[in-house]
Amino acid sequence: MAGLTLRSVRKTYGEVPVIKGVDLDIAHGEFVVFVGPSGCGKSTLLRMIAGLEDITDGQISIGDRVVNDVEPRDRGVAMVFQSYALYPHMSVYDNVGFGLKLAGTPRDVRDRKIREAAKVLQMEHLLDRRPAQLSGGQRQRVAIGRAIVRQPDVFLFDEPLSNLDAALRGDMRMELARLHHDLDATMIYVTHDQVEAMTLADKIVVLDAGVIQQVGSPLDLYNAPANLFVAGFIGAPKMNLLPAKVEAASESGLTLSSDILAAPVVLPARGDVALGDGVTLGIRPHDLQLESNGPFRGQVQLIERLGNETIIRIALSDGIVITAALPGQGAFAIGSTIALGLRAEAAHVFDASGMRL
Amino acid sequence: MTAWLFIAPAAIAYAAFVLVPLAMSFYYSFLRWDGIGEARFHGLTNYITVLTDPKLLQIIGNAFQLVAYFTLIPVVLGLAVASVIRGHMAGPFGTATRTILFLPQVIPLVAAGIAWSWMFASTGVVNQGLRAIGMSDWARGWLGDFVWALPAVGIIGAWVLLGLCTMLLVTGITKIDPSLYEAARLDGARPWHEFRYITLPGLRQEIAVCVTLTVISALASFDIVYISTLGGPGITTTVPGLEIYRLAFAHRQVGLASALAIVLMVLVLISIAPIQWFAREKK
Amino acid sequence: MKTTLSNTLVARGLIILLMIVTLLPFIAMFSAALAPQGTYPNGLQWPADPQWGNFGRAFEVSKMDQLLLSSTLIVLGVVPVSVLIATMAGYGLAKLTTNKYKWLYLIFVFGLTLPFEAVITPLYYEVRALGLLNTRFAIILPLIGLYMPFGVYWMRAHFLNVPHDLSEAAQLDGATRWKEFWLVQVPLARPAIMSLTILLFLWTWNQFLLPVVLVQDPMQRTMAGALGAFQGQWGTDIPLLCAGALLILAPTIALFLLFQRQFVAALMQGAVKG
Repeated sequence: MAGLTLRSVRKTYGEVPVIKGVDLDIAHGEFVVFVGPSGCGKSTLLRMIAGLEDITDGQISIGDRVVNDVEPRDRGVAMVFQSYALYPHMSVYDNVGFGLKLAGTPRDVRDRKIREAAKVLQMEHLLDRRPAQLSGGQRQRVAIGRAIVRQPDVFLFDEPLSNLDAALRGDMRMELARLHHDLDATMIYVTHDQVEAMTLADKIVVLDAGVIQQVGSPLDLYNAPANLFVAGFIGAPKMNLLPAKVEAASESGLTLSSDILAAPVVLPARGDVALGDGVTLGIRPHDLQLESNGPFRGQVQLIERLGNETIIRIALSDGIVITAALPGQGAFAIGSTIALGLRAEAAHVFDASGMRL
Repeated sequence: MTAWLFIAPAAIAYAAFVLVPLAMSFYYSFLRWDGIGEARFHGLTNYITVLTDPKLLQIIGNAFQLVAYFTLIPVVLGLAVASVIRGHMAGPFGTATRTILFLPQVIPLVAAGIAWSWMFASTGVVNQGLRAIGMSDWARGWLGDFVWALPAVGIIGAWVLLGLCTMLLVTGITKIDPSLYEAARLDGARPWHEFRYITLPGLRQEIAVCVTLTVISALASFDIVYISTLGGPGITTTVPGLEIYRLAFAHRQVGLASALAIVLMVLVLISIAPIQWFAREKK
Repeated sequence: MKTTLSNTLVARGLIILLMIVTLLPFIAMFSAALAPQGTYPNGLQWPADPQWGNFGRAFEVSKMDQLLLSSTLIVLGVVPVSVLIATMAGYGLAKLTTNKYKWLYLIFVFGLTLPFEAVITPLYYEVRALGLLNTRFAIILPLIGLYMPFGVYWMRAHFLNVPHDLSEAAQLDGATRWKEFWLVQVPLARPAIMSLTILLFLWTWNQFLLPVVLVQDPMQRTMAGALGAFQGQWGTDIPLLCAGALLILAPTIALFLLFQRQFVAALMQGAVKG
């Protein structure tokens, strides 16, 4: 079993840079999730680790070996594809055992390993079927089985749940978590869904436009996003981001004011600001609360009642809209005026360049 | 790279037996050569001959006349038949139809030639039929007639291609969304309108395929003519394909034959290009 | 769609008319084949004394058994090799090369509209130079080359539709390109390969120009090629000629009737994609 290291990894397609210098350390046994919007390069990064894409510059090591020029089959990795990529003309048994057959594994050893994998994934009854006869969830298991049976150092998952319906997705998430625990394997998982990232990962790598925005545990990213991008990406509903100005800054506190706020907001002190600086105030919907004299005042535009909480969209002055998630089933009406305050310790401030203060 | 290893065998076979001979054809076309003795450089003379000699021009013209038969009849008839029989091709009747209509495509062209040589003979079926309906003065040895030999050859080709075109068009029609016809009917369209505004545009691709296939068949024809008329009487049914053969192997005029061959190739390309462009438009 | 009875009758009537027109020449040949040898039968008529023996005579006189053998040998020489290398090239062009190499594919495509007549003359001299004139290889080798444009086009079109991640999965499973080709791609390509085999078989069996030009001995030609010589020798004996022609037609028609579903599918797809 092994960990991975990426050093200054770059990838360009012709003239177009897709991965612009990635440094990353992954420890053995970690479940790492690459997350980001479409086109951020997360799949490309995964495929470079797999050996399916060339590395333009930089180094990737698995264990102690630099694997830049090593063929995919010799890297000790296995991959579960988004569309499963099962061999249509082979039975599940042959699909799972294909890699072993190619490696010349003796038939009895092969048979044992295939059945073990089938047992782990609860698909022993499917071994004689063809992929066309399986449901989406079953095909997924076969794809995972094919990966398990090769006992790789690193498991790679390329958006494996995106083709499943919502209910199945939830179940499979738990399965994957269990698998990770049982196999004690290093897993790298690519998704655009931040909920999957938050629930499965030991460590999340947020990517945008080929650059790592932040690496950290799910709670680190939630509680202390390093920049505006991560702040807006992690957490649902999205964090409210509002432009503000520094009114006063001292060792005891930071005061921000804004045209759209009814009153200045006082927050715990942060370093590195000067009077008059433009900043961005970030506050998550769940960190807003009803407050009759609160700084956020406006008209209720939209109400979504989820039973345990109510999501409200409020239009402040200047057309700016914020979202609040309030507990319970309060009585709100569209068009009515409402005033909210925030929990000061939960507020985030970002400087003019988008970095966390 | 592994790719080259996979592609190489096909590429070598293609180069050796198509590209190299093509280049040689091109080369020969500038020579005056009888295939055995010395070859003399002849410049563009051969090409000028092809494009100006009245005999050769008539031969090229014959090929284009054949296009009228090989293409127009199968496509027009096929369209007419296809639009009527759509929806009636299911079950064993449909299978029998398909099987029978495809027979002409399965047999060698020379067999079609022999069959029709017999049909067109003075004591053949065509004359027998004409006599039966009281048109005996129309009866004649069709393939030996100066005026009617070429149309007769055209009929042979039309027969060979009719089944295939009809089937292609029928399949194409079944792909047209039936709700288009229903909407049109509600709008008050008569059958002719349906044909013109729904069927025809919907069959664009299939028509292009039929026309391409039949035009190539006509321009490159050899087998049918060789077996049924050998180009006669005179040169009324001689086609470029046959003439190339004759010039090269009977008259020993390899240079002229090659020039004609190149011209034929170019003519095919020029004829196909607009059809392909026409089909590609609305993808 | 409402279909009235008259619609159905008209439609069926038309179809039957088409079928009659299609079958007429065959029937005419058949009735002529049964007439006494050397006579000129009068159109379509069931002869008073059907000469079934004409078929036997035609079989002997044309040495049909040798012709069958010759055609079979040629088909065996051409079709397996052509299908194999066309499949390999189609795979190579579809999966192993990027758009940068599309020109290579286009060179093959150019050959699709090439009439055989354009190259028959140099082929003659080339085959002669190789010392293969008058042998079956004079037909086999050029045909393999001449089939490459269509074969490559056909198989490439199939492989383009196979998802790329299948190859990647195989790569990760440890397959070399060659193993992936044989263990994954070829089994998947079976329908396309079948259609191609049928089409190439038909075109080879029915090939006329090449045998006539490159091979003098009718026994070394395809059956269709031999028909040309047959007509030369017995052209005036209509019944015998028709009997012989029908015999030459019989194998392909028999195969066609047996596998008509696959043949029809192959012919239709071959036309559309070509």
